[in-house]
Amino acid sequence: MIHEDMICPFCGCLCDDLVIETEGTEVVRVDNACTLGSHKLMNAGTHRLKSPIMREGGAWRDARYEEAIEYAAGILLDADRPLLYGWSSTQGEAQGTGVSMAELLGGVIDSTTSVCHGPSILAIQEVGHPGCTLGQVKNRADLIVYWGCNPTEAHPRHMSRYTTYADGYFLENAFRDRKLILVDVRKTETASIADEFVQVKPGGDYAVLSALRAIVRGREDVVPPTVAGVTKEQLLRVAALCKEAKFGALFFGVGLTMSPGKYKNVRNAIELVDELSRHTKFTLTPLRGHYNVYGSNEVFTWMTGYPYAVDFSRQIAFYNPGETTAVDLMARKECDAALIVASDPGAHFPKKCLEHLASIPSVLIDPMHTMTTPLVRCQIPTAVTGMDAPGTAYRMDGVPIHVKKFMDLGYPTDTEIIGSIFEKVKEVRHP
Amino acid sequence: MKALFNTGRTSAQGQGLEAKARPEYMEATSVCMMNPVDLMDLDLEEGERVHVRGPAGEVVLTTVLNEGVPRGTVYVPMGPYANAVIDAGTHATGMPDYKSCMVDLEATDDEVKTPADLMEAVGGVAYRGDEE
Ligand code: SF4
Repeated sequence: MIHEDMICPFCGCLCDDLVIETEGTEVVRVDNACTLGSHKLMNAGTHRLKSPIMREGGAWRDARYEEAIEYAAGILLDADRPLLYGWSSTQGEAQGTGVSMAELLGGVIDSTTSVCHGPSILAIQEVGHPGCTLGQVKNRADLIVYWGCNPTEAHPRHMSRYTTYADGYFLENAFRDRKLILVDVRKTETASIADEFVQVKPGGDYAVLSALRAIVRGREDVVPPTVAGVTKEQLLRVAALCKEAKFGALFFGVGLTMSPGKYKNVRNAIELVDELSRHTKFTLTPLRGHYNVYGSNEVFTWMTGYPYAVDFSRQIAFYNPGETTAVDLMARKECDAALIVASDPGAHFPKKCLEHLASIPSVLIDPMHTMTTPLVRCQIPTAVTGMDAPGTAYRMDGVPIHVKKFMDLGYPTDTEIIGSIFEKVKEVRHP
Repeated sequence: MKALFNTGRTSAQGQGLEAKARPEYMEATSVCMMNPVDLMDLDLEEGERVHVRGPAGEVVLTTVLNEGVPRGTVYVPMGPYANAVIDAGTHATGMPDYKSCMVDLEATDDEVKTPADLMEAVGGVAYRGDEE
């Protein structure tokens, strides 16, 4: 069977033009997706966990769904400081139920945002977000800046759908008229097609952003001959390209948020965009990784007022990244139970956090055997949103998209499983 | 040899994401991309192994030559291997120093551990129920 206009549930681009061919419960062909998306779709049916599993002593055994749900509710109810973490590769509906449950439990709910674009949000909270939808970029932008990111490897269709290789309604010859500036600490493949490749010494982004701000302000006299490995001539060329553009769009990745300076780097980038907008139109968009990590920020915010790292232990929503973020809670050995949903801290958290995770009661809700599997006490497999479950996801520019279902493998959805755990919690702790 | 330790996404790592129990994911994440000159300084050929010691621990990786990586820097795809050396401190931001820790590099003949070994070393129990 051929399914048209399907949504790719992998990265924050949420490409919505996939054609997927299935034979029974197998995906035999995926058109239009990049290698990341088609890998996920071609394989996601095959590496599923068959049933819930639980750890007993030093070994794993299969379990029934009821038993696993009972166990999950039990450890969350018994805990003083339960952590509900993950939420980036699941449906908005499940995220919402998770927030309600965290509130009733007096727990902490955090999403993978804290280890990807959390610092971007901190910066946005300080100085605002001059953003726009990707449609605006595609149709209007004649200058694209990629800073501290590598779209070719991490968001492979970003350039063909929205920037360099995309047609633009207001551009006559989009490919020729659209300039590209790439800023990175290493020379990646994307560098070969850039009009300017700016190679910054690691940790030098803040200084380079400051130098560009000074130049745009007309104070090139204060800029030294080189800044973090970048020559003043190049900085002048880059600033001129930015000012000459009719519509510039800056995209940035974790190269800014994870490097020294973290959220201050992003703040400086936003302020550069602000400065440039006094001369022309300029916008900025974080390149979000997981397909619905942006959704976790939206859902958490409209329910609690805060985008991630929300702590309900005071019976009101409290937010203090650095204290209520998952890495810090685990490193301080503060949480005494964990529910991990649709994410893989086993692959992405520092070792010290994993040692703590392995020592507390924990449940993982994830369709696949992941790096986190060996660290938890119980895993509950669910349907993959965008394959065997429909749901809501938010694209990296904040546009909500209905992700579709095109096959059925008989698994419950994340929303159903979290809903069942929540029911059990409610039986004991009344709202 | 001292080097700045940088981590990030690669498409091989991204492709392996949905099937982390498979050998492809181990291959994609247990590599240390280095500048050819640094590799020569360590007296290593591409594909030989390097022992990396960082602020929080140590790990053995397979070297891969990469001209794009500046000298004095190594690039390791994000994943369990990179995280074996990264410290959990976040300077009150929630975000560890994934891109800015210093490591010590040394040539080694030790084997690269499997992801399951790494998880057992931190107190986990490997799941083998889905092995054919
Ligand atoms: S760019 Fe992202 S959303 Fe689009 S097909 Fe590739 S992985 Fe999927």
